[in-house]
Amino acid sequence: MFSYYLRLAWISITRHWGLSLLMICAIGLGIGTAMTTVTVNYLMSANPIPEKSQQLYYVQLDSWDVNDPFDDGLNPPDQLTYTDSSNLMRAKKAFRQNVQAQAFGVIEPADPEMLPLIVNGRANSADFFTMFNVPFIYGGGWSNQSDESKEFVVVLSKETNDKLFGGKNSVGQSIKLEGNMFRIVGVIDHWQPKPRFYDITTGAFNESEDIFVPFHLIADEKISRSGNTNCWKPTGDGFKAFLASECIWTQFWVELKTQQDKEDYLQFLNAYVQEQQQFGRFQRPIDNRLSNVMQWLESQEVVADDAQMMMAMSFMFLLVCLLNTVGLLLAKFLGKAPEIGLRQALGASKKTLFSQYIIESACIGILGGILGLILAYLGLKGVEGLYGDYMKDLATLDINMAILAVTLALLSTILAGLYPTWRACNIQPAQQLKSQ
Amino acid sequence: MLVMKNINKIFQTADIQTHALRDFCLQVNEGDFVSVTGPSGSGKTTFLNIAGLLETYSNGEFLLDGEDVGTLNDNGRSRMRNEKIGFIFQGFNLIPDLNLYDNVDVPLRYRGFNSAERKRRIEENLERVGLASRMKHLPSQLSGGQQQRVAIARALATSPRFLLADEPTGNLDSEMAKGVLTLLEEINQQGTTIIMVTHDAELALRAKRTIQVKDGRVSELDVVANIHQASA
Repeated sequence: MFSYYLRLAWISITRHWGLSLLMICAIGLGIGTAMTTVTVNYLMSANPIPEKSQQLYYVQLDSWDVNDPFDDGLNPPDQLTYTDSSNLMRAKKAFRQNVQAQAFGVIEPADPEMLPLIVNGRANSADFFTMFNVPFIYGGGWSNQSDESKEFVVVLSKETNDKLFGGKNSVGQSIKLEGNMFRIVGVIDHWQPKPRFYDITTGAFNESEDIFVPFHLIADEKISRSGNTNCWKPTGDGFKAFLASECIWTQFWVELKTQQDKEDYLQFLNAYVQEQQQFGRFQRPIDNRLSNVMQWLESQEVVADDAQMMMAMSFMFLLVCLLNTVGLLLAKFLGKAPEIGLRQALGASKKTLFSQYIIESACIGILGGILGLILAYLGLKGVEGLYGDYMKDLATLDINMAILAVTLALLSTILAGLYPTWRACNIQPAQQLKSQ
Repeated sequence: MLVMKNINKIFQTADIQTHALRDFCLQVNEGDFVSVTGPSGSGKTTFLNIAGLLETYSNGEFLLDGEDVGTLNDNGRSRMRNEKIGFIFQGFNLIPDLNLYDNVDVPLRYRGFNSAERKRRIEENLERVGLASRMKHLPSQLSGGQQQRVAIARALATSPRFLLADEPTGNLDSEMAKGVLTLLEEINQQGTTIIMVTHDAELALRAKRTIQVKDGRVSELDVVANIHQASA
C-alpha cells in the first residue's frame, strides 16, 4: 500500500499544484532559514579535535592587577606572560606542552622572478604538531632537540609550498625568511580546524597559518610577533624588558593523558604561582585554570550570543511557517472531504486514511526540505557575502546538515499534518456522500 | 441476508432531538431487489446509510449476513463494507483526480488483492459496463450515464453481496436512467442483492419489492414480484 499512497500523494500534489506549492514554499522558507543559522552555529560549536579534546588543556594563570581584575574578575587572563610560559616550558611537567604566539614575516623566494611573500606565521614549540594532530604531506614537525639548540627550521603549509615549490617535496630545502635561511622540515596538508581552537585570541575562524617556526625565534628577534597583547602595568624600554614584563601575549597548551595527570598539573600550577608570589607577582587570589578544548571554546564564547539568538528566531519563523502549513493542509484535506467519505464507503478504515494523508504530508515535507536545502545554501552564500572571509569556512553545508534539513522538514511536516489528517479521518462519510 | 429489528436513529443537536428512524424493521433476503420510496425527510437515506454501515444507529439490532453490526469497531465495519457492500450514489462519487481504471481500483486496493487480480477485476467490470476502451480517461471526460456505469463497475469490482443504490438515476436523463436500471436488473439476476432508494415511482416498480418509508418507519410493503408474476 505504501507505493499506492506515494502515487496518490504525487497525483494530489500535482493536481493541486498551487496549494501544494504554497505549502512547499512555506516549509522550504522555514527550513532554509533555520538551516542557515543552525549550520553556522553547528560549525561554530563543533568539536575541532574530537579524538583529543579531552586531553588538551589550555592554561590560564591570574597574573593580573590586584586592583583591576581581568574580565571583572570573572575569568583569569586569556594569555600568559612570556616569563610564565617560559617557566612552564622549562618545568616540562606535562606529557606534551606547547607555547605559541602569532607571528609574521617576509619570505624572499629563491627565484628572482618571484615577488617577496608576506606570510602569517605561528611561532610554536615542537610538540605543537603532535599535540594537535597536524597532518603532514612531506616530512614532519621539528624535534624538541631543535627547539633546545635553537635551530632555524620551518614547516610550510600546503598552500605556501605550492607557491614556492609548485607542490613538490621541499623537505631539506631552505627558504630565506626575514633575512635568515630556514631549513624546511615538513609540509602540512590543508589544515583548517573549525573553530581554530589552538589560538582563538586572534580569531576563532581565521585561516590557519602559512608557516610555522620555533617559538624561541621571537625572543631572539629573528621573527616578528603579532597577535593580541595586553598589559596592566608599564613595561620598561626595549624588547628584553617587554619579555620580562607582565604583558600577556603567549598561549600555552598542555596534553595530559588522565584526570589524575590533570589534577597533578593543576597542583603544580598552584605551587608555581605560590612560588612566584614570593617574588611579588600574582597578588590576586589563586585562580589557575585548565580548560579542555570544548571548555575553552565555551568560556571564550566562540559561539556568539547573537548567533544563538538568530538561531532561536529562525526556529520561531519555522514554527510560523509550520502553522501556515497546518492551515493549508487543513484546507486541502477538508477540501477532499467527499473523496475521504467515498474512500470510507469503499472500505478504507480511519487507520488506512491516516496513513494515506500522513504520507502525502511527508511528501510535501520532503519537497519542502529539498527547497529548504537550496534556500539554506543561498542563505549561507549570503552570509558569506556579508561577512567575507570570516565566515567562509562556516558557510558550508555538509552532509550531516543536509540530512538534518530533510529530516527536520519531514518530521515537522508530519507534525503539522497530524491535526489536519486527524480531522480528515473523522469526517462523517454519510454527510459527504450525500452532499457531493 | 439483511435484518433490522427495531432500529432507532436519533440525531441530537444542542436542544433538538430528531428521530430519523423509529423502530425500523426490515428483512432483505438473498437475491432481493428492493426499492425504497418515501417523501423527503422520511428517513430512507438514513436507512440506507445505516444499512451501508456509513452511519451508526442509536439502538436496535442489525444483522448483516448473520453478523451483529453493532459489535463491530471501525476496522470491522470498514472490512465488512469492503467485502460485502457496494455503493452507487446519485452524484456518481468518482474521484476526479483518478482515471477510470484507478477509480475502480480503489476498493480492490483496500481489499488487498494482488496486482494481477485487481487488473483482471477492473478490466472485467469496465467491460461489463461497456467502458473498457476508456479506462485511461478521467471522469470529467465522460457523460453522466457513463460516469454512473463506472460507479457501478467500481461497486461490483469486489463482488459484493449487497448493492446499495441511492437515487442511482437521479442525475440522469430518462434514456440513461433506463440503461442503468437495466444494468442493475442484470446484476440482480446474477445473484447480487440490491436495495435502491428512489423518488421515481416507475423505477421503483421495476424492483421485486417496494418499501415505503414514512416518518422513519416502514409503512407499506408491496411485493412487486407477485405483480410481475401475475402480469406474466
